Amino acid sequence: MVIDLCTYPGFIQEISEDPERVAFRRKTFGLYKQHVWPMKLFITQLNAAGIDKAVLLGEDLTTRCGGCIVTNEEIRTLVDLAPDRMIGFASVDPHREDAPEVLKDAFTRLQLSGLVLNPSTQRFYPGDEALEPLYSLCEEYNKPVIFQMGVSLQPDAPAKYGKPLLVEDVLLAHPNLRVCVSHFAWPWVEDVAALLIKYPNFYADTSMLYFDSPKEFMHHVFGQQLGAFWLDRSLHSKVLFGSGYPRIEQLRMKEAVEDLALRPATLQKVLGGNAERFIYGEAD
Amino acid sequence: MVYFQDAEVLTEKHFQFVRLTDSVREAVRESGIRNGMVFVVTAHTTTGITVNEGLECLESDMETVLCNLVPDDAPYVHAHWLPTYGRTSANATGHLRAMVTGNHCAFPVRDGEMLLGAAQEIYFAEFDGPQMRKITIEVMGE
Repeated sequence: MVIDLCTYPGFIQEISEDPERVAFRRKTFGLYKQHVWPMKLFITQLNAAGIDKAVLLGEDLTTRCGGCIVTNEEIRTLVDLAPDRMIGFASVDPHREDAPEVLKDAFTRLQLSGLVLNPSTQRFYPGDEALEPLYSLCEEYNKPVIFQMGVSLQPDAPAKYGKPLLVEDVLLAHPNLRVCVSHFAWPWVEDVAALLIKYPNFYADTSMLYFDSPKEFMHHVFGQQLGAFWLDRSLHSKVLFGSGYPRIEQLRMKEAVEDLALRPATLQKVLGGNAERFIYGEAD
Repeated sequence: MVYFQDAEVLTEKHFQFVRLTDSVREAVRESGIRNGMVFVVTAHTTTGITVNEGLECLESDMETVLCNLVPDDAPYVHAHWLPTYGRTSANATGHLRAMVTGNHCAFPVRDGEMLLGAAQEIYFAEFDGPQMRKITIEVMGE
């Protein structure tokens, strides 16, 4: 089982009939020339990359931008188009007065599989007490949380909110809440590695490409910024494959991870086994 | 007279040859043009149009040669953040392989039929797939 933990579906045709919505997504997501294409092409791309399932991430920017890049309803629509290939995560703007109700609805009526938050674009610190109702709901419904962290490639997204050590308060307060940081919170990858070895409920995904080719950048992070053996020896159960599609093609990101010369058992975990445990809470 | 026909191709692989000859021949017939030229042009910079003999062995050799000429993992400069796109470029191989094949082919049209040699097959070449691609077939003549 290969799972891509980080895909952004805002340009899939079936939820992109309104040109104004597409323009809003291009502007707020910062993917300015992205074409709209049908779900069947997305699935063809998954097949070509050898990926079984994709985690679809929406983003609720209601209070700051007046709307969602992708709504929870749209995530549900896409999951329903290919339920055996798609896993939908809910997004909630923590500054909404009805944030807990929105999240509860996403978990109950829409049956979404987790929560994704973006501290930089949604302007909050993960340890803020205002987030407690959302974390409690995740625990109540046994759903994981993804924090989009590191330097965001989206516009108007201050990096000060994206530092991974900010998540430590959440990990301490909620030891049973499964938490993942996207983009390995680049460039603060040493901080992430430190938290990964300390907190059993903490994970990080590989959806990072800021310089060079995917293979070159993956080797830079896992061979130079971090020790060459850290992933294979110590972090093999904590790192999840994520691509960041469509900001980069899944095939290239998967090949980059496969090029790290990991032990087969580690590669299997990184490409999918760890994601299954993170999403569904299954035992290692 | 000029006749246009646009076509979409959903490619399924990262590197793929798609045979177009039958579609082009049909477009020529539909155009009603008796004598002139037909052009097949791709709308993309990481795809190509090329002509060769329609044999699986040659398709395999063409892929091998193009990948040897333009290897996957060379240190291409076109591998960096593109601010106007909001993404990182990573498809130098597609651009460079497309440069080798070119973006079009042309054939004479005589008596309402495309003049194709017995061994000639028209290929659309995908170098950065899978993607939804656009091709234009243009028939010019009288």
